Amino acid sequence: MDIEKNIFELRERLKYIQDIFGFKENDNVVLLGAKLQELTDALPGLDAAEQVRQLTSLEDLFAFLEKKLERQLSPMDRVRIVRHPQRISLKDILEHVYDNFTEIGGQDEYSVDPSMLIARAYITRKVGNKVHNQSVMVIGQEKGHGQEFRNGGSVKPWGNAKALHYMKVAEMENIPIHAYVNTPGAFPVEDYPGAAQQIARNIYEMAGLRVPVIAIFSEGGSGGAEAIGLADVRLMLSHGYYSVISPEGAAAIEGRIKPGQKAPTELMENCAKRLKITAKDNLSLGFIDRIIQEPVLGARTEHFDFFRSLRQEVINATDEIILNVRGMNYFRAKAIMRQKKSPRVNAENIFVRWKLGGPARERLLWKRYQRFMAMSRHAFLDRRPVGRKCMEFGLDLGWSVYSFFKYDFWRKHQKKVSNLAEDVGAEFQVVFDKCLAPARRLKAVFSRTNDEPNGNNQCQLTQLSPWEKRESDQQQGYISPQARKDRAVSCPNALVHGCMDMWAPDLFGEWAGVCIHCGHHFPMEYDWYVHNVFDPQSVREFNAQMEAINPLGYDGFDLKLEEAKRKNGLKSACRTFEARINGLKVVIAMLIAGFRGGTVGAAEGEKFIRAVERARKKRFPLLAYTHGTAGIRIQEGTCGVIQMPRCTMAVRRYLEDGGLYLVVYDTNSYAGPVASFLGCSPYQFAIRSSRIGFAGPGVIQETTGMPMPPHYHSAYQALARGHIQGVWDRREMRKNVYQALLTVGGRNLYYR
Amino acid sequence: MLKSRTQHKLLIANRGEIAVRIIRACQGLGLDFVCIATREDAASGHCRLALETAGERALYRISSYHDPNEVFSVADESGATAIHPGYGFFAEDHRFARRASERSRPLVFIGPSWSVIRDLGDKINTKRLARRLNIPTIPGSDKPLYDEIEAEEIAEALFAFQADQGVLRPVVLVKASAGGGGMGIEEVNDPDKFRSTFRRIRNYAKRQFRDEGVLVEQRIFDFNHLEVQIVAERFGKNIVHFGTRNCSVQSLGRQKRIEVAPGFAPGDIRYAFDAAEVLESITNHSLNMAQEVRYDNMGTWEWIVTPNGNPFLLEVNTRIQVENGVSAVISRLPKKPCVDLISEQIRLGLGQPLGYDQADISFDGVGIEYRIIAENPDNKFAPWVGRIDRFSWTDKDWARVYTHVPLDRPYEIPTEYDPNLALAIVWGRDLREARERGGMFLDSLVLEGRNLAGDPLQSNISYLRAKTVDLLMF
Amino acid sequence: MLNITEMLDQIKASPFEEIVVRAPHTGVVEFVQNKTGAKVAGPSGTWKEKPGTLLARLTREGNVKPIHSFQKGVVERIEHALAGKFVQAGTPLMHIRHFLSKDEVLDKLLRKTLFLFLAPERAKYFFVPDVDIKVKSKGCQTVEVRSGQELFIVSRMKRESQLNYTGPEGIIYAVYFETNQNVEAGAALIGVCAKEQLPAIQDVVSRVQGEWVEEE
Repeated sequence: MDIEKNIFELRERLKYIQDIFGFKENDNVVLLGAKLQELTDALPGLDAAEQVRQLTSLEDLFAFLEKKLERQLSPMDRVRIVRHPQRISLKDILEHVYDNFTEIGGQDEYSVDPSMLIARAYITRKVGNKVHNQSVMVIGQEKGHGQEFRNGGSVKPWGNAKALHYMKVAEMENIPIHAYVNTPGAFPVEDYPGAAQQIARNIYEMAGLRVPVIAIFSEGGSGGAEAIGLADVRLMLSHGYYSVISPEGAAAIEGRIKPGQKAPTELMENCAKRLKITAKDNLSLGFIDRIIQEPVLGARTEHFDFFRSLRQEVINATDEIILNVRGMNYFRAKAIMRQKKSPRVNAENIFVRWKLGGPARERLLWKRYQRFMAMSRHAFLDRRPVGRKCMEFGLDLGWSVYSFFKYDFWRKHQKKVSNLAEDVGAEFQVVFDKCLAPARRLKAVFSRTNDEPNGNNQCQLTQLSPWEKRESDQQQGYISPQARKDRAVSCPNALVHGCMDMWAPDLFGEWAGVCIHCGHHFPMEYDWYVHNVFDPQSVREFNAQMEAINPLGYDGFDLKLEEAKRKNGLKSACRTFEARINGLKVVIAMLIAGFRGGTVGAAEGEKFIRAVERARKKRFPLLAYTHGTAGIRIQEGTCGVIQMPRCTMAVRRYLEDGGLYLVVYDTNSYAGPVASFLGCSPYQFAIRSSRIGFAGPGVIQETTGMPMPPHYHSAYQALARGHIQGVWDRREMRKNVYQALLTVGGRNLYYR
Repeated sequence: MLKSRTQHKLLIANRGEIAVRIIRACQGLGLDFVCIATREDAASGHCRLALETAGERALYRISSYHDPNEVFSVADESGATAIHPGYGFFAEDHRFARRASERSRPLVFIGPSWSVIRDLGDKINTKRLARRLNIPTIPGSDKPLYDEIEAEEIAEALFAFQADQGVLRPVVLVKASAGGGGMGIEEVNDPDKFRSTFRRIRNYAKRQFRDEGVLVEQRIFDFNHLEVQIVAERFGKNIVHFGTRNCSVQSLGRQKRIEVAPGFAPGDIRYAFDAAEVLESITNHSLNMAQEVRYDNMGTWEWIVTPNGNPFLLEVNTRIQVENGVSAVISRLPKKPCVDLISEQIRLGLGQPLGYDQADISFDGVGIEYRIIAENPDNKFAPWVGRIDRFSWTDKDWARVYTHVPLDRPYEIPTEYDPNLALAIVWGRDLREARERGGMFLDSLVLEGRNLAGDPLQSNISYLRAKTVDLLMF
Repeated sequence: MLNITEMLDQIKASPFEEIVVRAPHTGVVEFVQNKTGAKVAGPSGTWKEKPGTLLARLTREGNVKPIHSFQKGVVERIEHALAGKFVQAGTPLMHIRHFLSKDEVLDKLLRKTLFLFLAPERAKYFFVPDVDIKVKSKGCQTVEVRSGQELFIVSRMKRESQLNYTGPEGIIYAVYFETNQNVEAGAALIGVCAKEQLPAIQDVVSRVQGEWVEEE
């Protein structure tokens, strides 16, 4: 027995344990350290047999205490586990779980983004005498055991773009996708294709991906995870985490930490606990389907048994999806159900072909849609009385039926009739003109002689003409509270453009919060838009009773939420209503900056989805006006982050049905919503002086280590990068929205 | 002379000649005043006068004449209760007037109420108001046109209308309704070219002013520019007029150089129309409109009169004008040795009653006002900048000179502001005498100086002299 | 020729510049930095995006506006009597002693050694188009000038005229004006040095780089 080698291994195990438990004092860890030291000290004085005996007993102690420590793991310890260099990486998985693979588009640092790894792999299954090589597309973040250029699995926008590309390839080849999520979050750079915008594109496309997708979460850090995590089955490694934000980020926000400072460790531990980020938490919240049990203190490269069970699980999961949507499946489905209950049975014995036909693909998409729609339903409060709910459900149904008959059924036939009528009319006109031509010529000759040269026209030149001021010119009587103060306001660009101080009543009244000299837009209340963009008295709010709650029981958040509700007189940060612009009916969803920074939680997501659904059923255009959003509401944890795929899926369904989805950003719009249901719109506009981005300047400096140039996130920069399609002046919002409603998008709107 | 329950203090938010005149008016009324000046303008006459007559505390150093915040800040500090905007700067700024009256420490704005300034400052609004009262306005559209076909119809009608009136070469003006100051205006003299011009102006307006409205009007040639001086008490009571003026001598860019009161001299010149009747008609129309809007304080209704005697209302200036003195010089009030419209304006602005009615106002003789400016009339009235070494004239009891240029020492013309050096007003019993005296005065005028390059001063005196000969003619 | 040593010694004798911080406009002043001898910093950051030390606040019409230091230095004198009082525009509020940096000393010396062509009047100045292109593309030191050459366009009161260079022949070593900014009469527009003088100028540069010690 090689004593030295065993001692070395034990030392490594101890070091790993020390790494995981970090700075925390733990008796067990101290004990292990002391015992190991004792043994190494005593070793030279012992004979060989005694050496082996003592070593074995120490190894037993290690095994015992490791099990004990496993039970003591805090959520933050799990974060340290998944980020540990010894943690299994995607390369390990490819080598041990799959039977053969080719890495696509990259060799170590020679890759468009080494943190995103893509491989075509196959799993070999022997059924009877037949050998099947079943191809899959494996996509996932690669940490490379701490290789510097892998960037810790933090994927740049172009990495996510590459992932999307190969998802589409998989779709074309009709093979399943296995997505291994192992990222602390996306790399927050704005360069094209843009961190947020690319994630939004990924989610949007994945929502309609017509092949099975299985996601396996190891480290699921918010946006970066969602970029490849929208799946039909979501598995999670037992020591992984899946969260709306990294615990460090949450702690920095909670503790109001300035850039450059470190959040206290204790606060971080606390945040990790409150965010409910562990596999167990996520399973009970319903955001993942199953947990894959790892060895004690997390899977490392040497845990070969674990790779076997992982292989079983992914095969099982893929089979399960396929059988769920395919016709011929009864016995095999039963068998697979049995397997799930007793994981010892070998999944490879039952063969399922991993290709889907047309109808099955449709069913796959519909199932995926329903699955995500059903998520996070518990995480908000619907205060509507039962009667009202029933009535609204009935109305909804009525609209669906009405729309079907009016737009699908009737319009198709009506077009034919009216086309025919037009043709007949035009033919008739030609004949008619021909017949009357001689008479008209005669009349013209006469009229020239006794034509009154300027009878009526002269009145028009010198007398009052009828004129109704254009509707858009009328101010609709909203006075901003900022306009009630007798004070002067300085423009932030005064130094550059020499703008004079403006009097607040002028600035926030007549000038709508726009510096008349340089055009800088000061933030205005969302009410201004409600009053000045839509026709007077046309606003009809719906679902106002849906209320944001504290689904995770996050400490101290109830109070803050109450405060926000009281201050704004709203139940959530999202207001949804119907209104008209120059008579055109529109459904509007607004994210309101004043309510917890316009963050999106389960209630906001649900309201948004219902607004999308309403627009879809009524064939109305949809306007998402973002008065400001700071991202996903972190206190709702994964209940919040799941709104990204949910809302995006609803939007996709609406757009595929021929809707027109317009997004307008104002003030500051960051993170999750931009990286999903807002950023996926083909028509995004920004109000001038607004800022759009993935992460705030502080976070960028923290993660990239580079100082941010001023105006990095400004609307014009976003326009230059191709993230948005135009910059609008606030005072022209009404005109521009109307113009857009007439000209862009939507083949299937009620007024087309 | 000024008796009011509260002792007012007037802040003079202007510089140069008008500031000097307001200081003088304040002295006449026994009113406290405060002046403002920028650093570059420290040598200006109004600063000196303020310091000499009221001491250090009557002059405040500010960063810019254009910044309302500076004015209000000084007003609060100095304890001023009223603001006189003079002309230029804030005179027709309805936002400034509104801020003065609506801020937490309100100030009396010597001028019309802000809503009147706003409404009459809008040319389209003024035109429509006039048409509602059957006051003649320039033929053409009275609302912004957005529709090309509608605009073309109006243009065609305008060409026909002018042909009907015997205009030899009819011209139609196309201009951006949101524009001003000569921007976005084009002439069309061929109906076929109207559409392309219309589109050009519309696109320009859309780019420049973000409003594509376009106005179409008749272009009138060879007209005389007349003005009616309106004076009213607070809240639009007791509206009277102080006669008419003729301001037809203008440089390029419609800058006035000579003004004459009254507007026409029927005894001296034969017109192709009944001049007295036209004057009466425009005066009555102006009074009528002032009554309708309940105009308060001082204002000028500007008219153009065609060679065949058709008057058209052009616009309303809601302020005291540079040429107020020329109306004052021919106006007579009972029990007052001479009329000063600026002190009248201050008095009325502070809420005093008028104290007389239209029947008490009479007119005598003819007044001519010259604007003496350092510029080169032969080279597009290019301004001349430099140092004035000598500036003098022969004093006469029929001539008055208002200037901010110090006469006893050299004076550097500040480049930041307009180059107006002095206003000279001469009076005569009739036009012939006024013209003669005007000539005499200009002959006696000495104005010398040099610039950095050593070139001698250029002024418009010769131009003024040449123009004196055919005043009031078409 | 050029007595650089003497000039350097002269500057070394008083190696600072007095900066007067004036009230940019009227208002009530409140001093934030109210200790004499305190160190203040100018704007910093990669893009000079962080303003300098907050010196005072000026409140006008309910609007509190900060006055930041625009140079590094030491507060020498504060007009304490003005604290909490209304000040007129241009009133001196603070005096800051700014120690000259290498670049500034160099600039000072160059202004003494180069031939300075001065602005004849307050106006905006531009290079004539062909010179402008050369300056922008290859730098000003490639432009040779001689007396009588058309060099500038003077823009004043919306009117433009040409200005010819008068002075010794040479190359433009430095440009002291900015496009679209008004230049006061008598301010330097360009610094010209004769071609054969160039080595001497380079010497000045290296001497300053080597000898000048920036004080903190």
